[in-house]
Amino acid sequence: MVETDFLVIGGGPAGLSAALEASRRGVKTLVVDEGIEAGGQLLKQTHKFFGHEGFYASVRGFEIAKEILNSLGDNVDILTMTTVTGVYEDVITAYDRNADKMIEIKPRFTLIATGASERFIQFENNDLPGVYGAGAVQTLMNQYGVLPGERVLMIGSGNIGLIVSYQLLQAGAEVKAIVEIANKVGGYEVHANKIKRFGVPIILRHTIKKVVGDQRVEGAIIVEVDDEFNEIPGSEKELAVDTVCIATGLTPSIEIAAMAGVELQYIPELGGYVPYRDENMRTNISNLFIAGDVSGIEEATTAMIEGSIAGLVVASECKKLDLTEEIASMKKELSEFRSGPFSEKVRSGLKKFSIDYPTYSYRDSVQRQEPPKGKLVPVIECNQAIPCNPCQTSCPTGAITVSGNINSLPEIDYNKCVGCGVCVMKCPGLAIFMIQENAENNTDVVVIPWEFALPEKGEAVIALDKDGEPVCEGEIFKVVKSSNKTHLVYLKVPTGHGRSVRNFARLQREDNRYVCRCEEITEADIEKAIEQGFTDFEELRRYLRLGMGPCGGRTCRLNALSILARKTGKKISELGHGVFRPPAMPIKFESLLKGEKSHGE
Amino acid sequence: MGNDYRVVIIGGGIVGCAIAYHLTKLGEKSVAVFEKNYLSSGATGRCGGGIRQQWSSLNNVLLAMRSVKHFERFSEEVGMDIEYKQGGYLVLSYTDEEAVEFEKNVKMQREAGLKVEILSPKEVERRYPYINTEGVKMATFCQSDGHANPHLAAFGYARASQKLGADIFTHTKVVGLERLCDSRWIVHTTNGSVKADVVINAAGAFSREVGKLAGVDLPTESYRHQIFVTEPLKDFFDPMAISFSGNYYMRQTKHGNFVMGQGDADEKAGINYSVTFRFEKELSRKMARIFPFLRKLRIIRHWSGHYNMSPDAQPIIGESPSVRGYYYAVGFSGHGFMLAPAVGEAIAEMILYGKAAHVDVSDLNVQRLKGGVVKEKNVV
Repeated sequence: MVETDFLVIGGGPAGLSAALEASRRGVKTLVVDEGIEAGGQLLKQTHKFFGHEGFYASVRGFEIAKEILNSLGDNVDILTMTTVTGVYEDVITAYDRNADKMIEIKPRFTLIATGASERFIQFENNDLPGVYGAGAVQTLMNQYGVLPGERVLMIGSGNIGLIVSYQLLQAGAEVKAIVEIANKVGGYEVHANKIKRFGVPIILRHTIKKVVGDQRVEGAIIVEVDDEFNEIPGSEKELAVDTVCIATGLTPSIEIAAMAGVELQYIPELGGYVPYRDENMRTNISNLFIAGDVSGIEEATTAMIEGSIAGLVVASECKKLDLTEEIASMKKELSEFRSGPFSEKVRSGLKKFSIDYPTYSYRDSVQRQEPPKGKLVPVIECNQAIPCNPCQTSCPTGAITVSGNINSLPEIDYNKCVGCGVCVMKCPGLAIFMIQENAENNTDVVVIPWEFALPEKGEAVIALDKDGEPVCEGEIFKVVKSSNKTHLVYLKVPTGHGRSVRNFARLQREDNRYVCRCEEITEADIEKAIEQGFTDFEELRRYLRLGMGPCGGRTCRLNALSILARKTGKKISELGHGVFRPPAMPIKFESLLKGEKSHGE
Repeated sequence: MGNDYRVVIIGGGIVGCAIAYHLTKLGEKSVAVFEKNYLSSGATGRCGGGIRQQWSSLNNVLLAMRSVKHFERFSEEVGMDIEYKQGGYLVLSYTDEEAVEFEKNVKMQREAGLKVEILSPKEVERRYPYINTEGVKMATFCQSDGHANPHLAAFGYARASQKLGADIFTHTKVVGLERLCDSRWIVHTTNGSVKADVVINAAGAFSREVGKLAGVDLPTESYRHQIFVTEPLKDFFDPMAISFSGNYYMRQTKHGNFVMGQGDADEKAGINYSVTFRFEKELSRKMARIFPFLRKLRIIRHWSGHYNMSPDAQPIIGESPSVRGYYYAVGFSGHGFMLAPAVGEAIAEMILYGKAAHVDVSDLNVQRLKGGVVKEKNVV
């Protein structure tokens, strides 16, 4: 039997925040978590968080988990790989998978922070291997380093669908398309823009009809829908994919709360059945609290704030402390975060529990200054009111302002801007670029926030626009590595293109452009060897076995020489043609033996 | 090109590159290699690639054993994967006389610390059912023998020595050596001249000519040897199969090709890069009989290179007794690739410390050839 002041069920953002606030104030806390390590969904989140500095804005999710875990003191015990299995009249039970035993827990206060489950959708063959939930894809990819597939169809354009698509691109997969049943993108525009500029189409008013394949996913058929979401016959299209990733929403994981006797109410705005709670996160049972996605589907920052509120309330009651001020300030935080347009659903859902949020005014449209020509300055492409302000707080010269409410759109004063690029690195939505029109020699400079393998200085690239369409050729002339992994890539493009360039494609060093087909040697292999110093044609051939297959170099000799000429700047005639060896075609031992006989006789 | 080096090496084959590598590794950074063609263009790039420790002379056994130590560490130490495989050397004997010799050799080899087995024809068949053992009297087998890709080994040594400070000049032929009164050298090349304290002749097939540049008459002669290679098959043939009495050798490269050759007692001394159809016919007939799986396989490339023969078929290594500051590592008699790592090390040690530290090579100096000659017999 384990006795504790405060039992936290679920060590995700809400649970850990509650544990932090309560334990800091002397409350003996036990966190029980299913995972191999605590952190919940934070562990999978490689993107920078929105919000403000007080709640880890611009910090990546998995790093937030580390920070919180590191700041937990001696009052907190964490049981990982342990699942709460029931809330009984006498005790709460948990199963410890490590020790393979049951644990009985008797807490004075309990927080249920069990998060959410993914909502699956029905379509033909949705049981084939290769159909994944977005959470599984994130776990495989971001926690275990396993890429689930190479060509992916994403279903759903909410923030999870958008973020996971971007992560798939980062991991080297191709995202064929995102389909969205509604007539607009569900998630943040800045997240959508991050993948659009890599040319990933977001197909609206479409859904998946079926998956094609025998043993595993080999393709997917998508279909257009009408205003009532009915499939429009004849509008089917087939996509060649090996993976279908479903990101169609979440529903609160209410099982434990329900077993504990918490009243449930069906509130679609909050994701389905949700447990009742008041604004202190207390349920109808006085020592039982809930926080995070189990109390209504939202996102990790508000989950952390809800957890903090629950932790503070528990501390005040458990330790008889007056925390009125702290609790009020957290509630104000929450109210401000929820004041934007993206929180409308949550606000109207919470009204059903008689929790009302005042409306704030925020700036939801802005006429920004024209960037001055000739000067390297940021261009802010953040046009949707979301609760976020690191651009303002990171700007060392005060040039960027998010005035009043945190949902307001940022403004920039180019007179104060020094072009340092810090805002470009910090912006969680990667929505700030820098441009310098008419830089020099008829070029414009574009600075792009970059979270992929770094290009090299001097590398020639294809400059792309916001939809991933090629605009012109460009050249990388500077790469600034950042410790937060949003690096700055400085790109030079011909004058006039600076305003439209928002991305670049590296000239593909495809590893399937074969030069020597006999020996399967690609253009990239040859270029790499030349770069390593094999610039003598004969040495190059011998190093790679180039032309040493059955064809004797018939198909590759000249092509390889052209590559060598291009890379070394020499003429083909200066390089020499290499040796030619008999036989001119492959000859079987047997054929040699037969010839021997007929001539010998 | 610098104009002054401590050591100049003539020849960018495996021997020259190995010497450059060991010198730079031991801290001597002032090293230049002059290669008249491209790296591995001579015998190195034309050889069978075998790495054998089963020799009839103790000197060769010890040098080869030391080389194997280096080959085993090559990828890690030198930094290039050279397709090294220790699938063993299966040495097949077809005469009773040779079988007696082999038993003697094995005794000596075992005393030197080499693990060698003596196999009956039956045992050979059991282990390698795809070899026709007709006429085989016995065989010896050493598992730690093997083979590697000679081009890659030469490139590996060259790149590593460059990283450590050596300069390598290809397409640069040494055309003259001039002795200064302070006993330093001026090395004249087709791309200019440099000074050097020490000059090393690692010129392989051209060792005699390069010797003459310094007034050193080396008793070496070069003989053409031909070789051909088949298209690749899945890698299944582990050993290097070789026979002196049967006059053949064959291995399967890690990549899958079968490389094979034989000697020709009628070859005249001299440089000759052409190839004969007679060789193709003779060797394919013989090999298809001994290795029947070859019948349907196709030959894709046939070329020749040279054995730089010494009178006793053992390398000539050391400093010239008559011209100080002039070293040579020549006359490898067809076995330069496999001995190069140990010889490169020995020469580097001689130059830097006055004496080879790992293997005693004093018996391999040119002076040994003044008296009678005891010939290495294990040569194809």
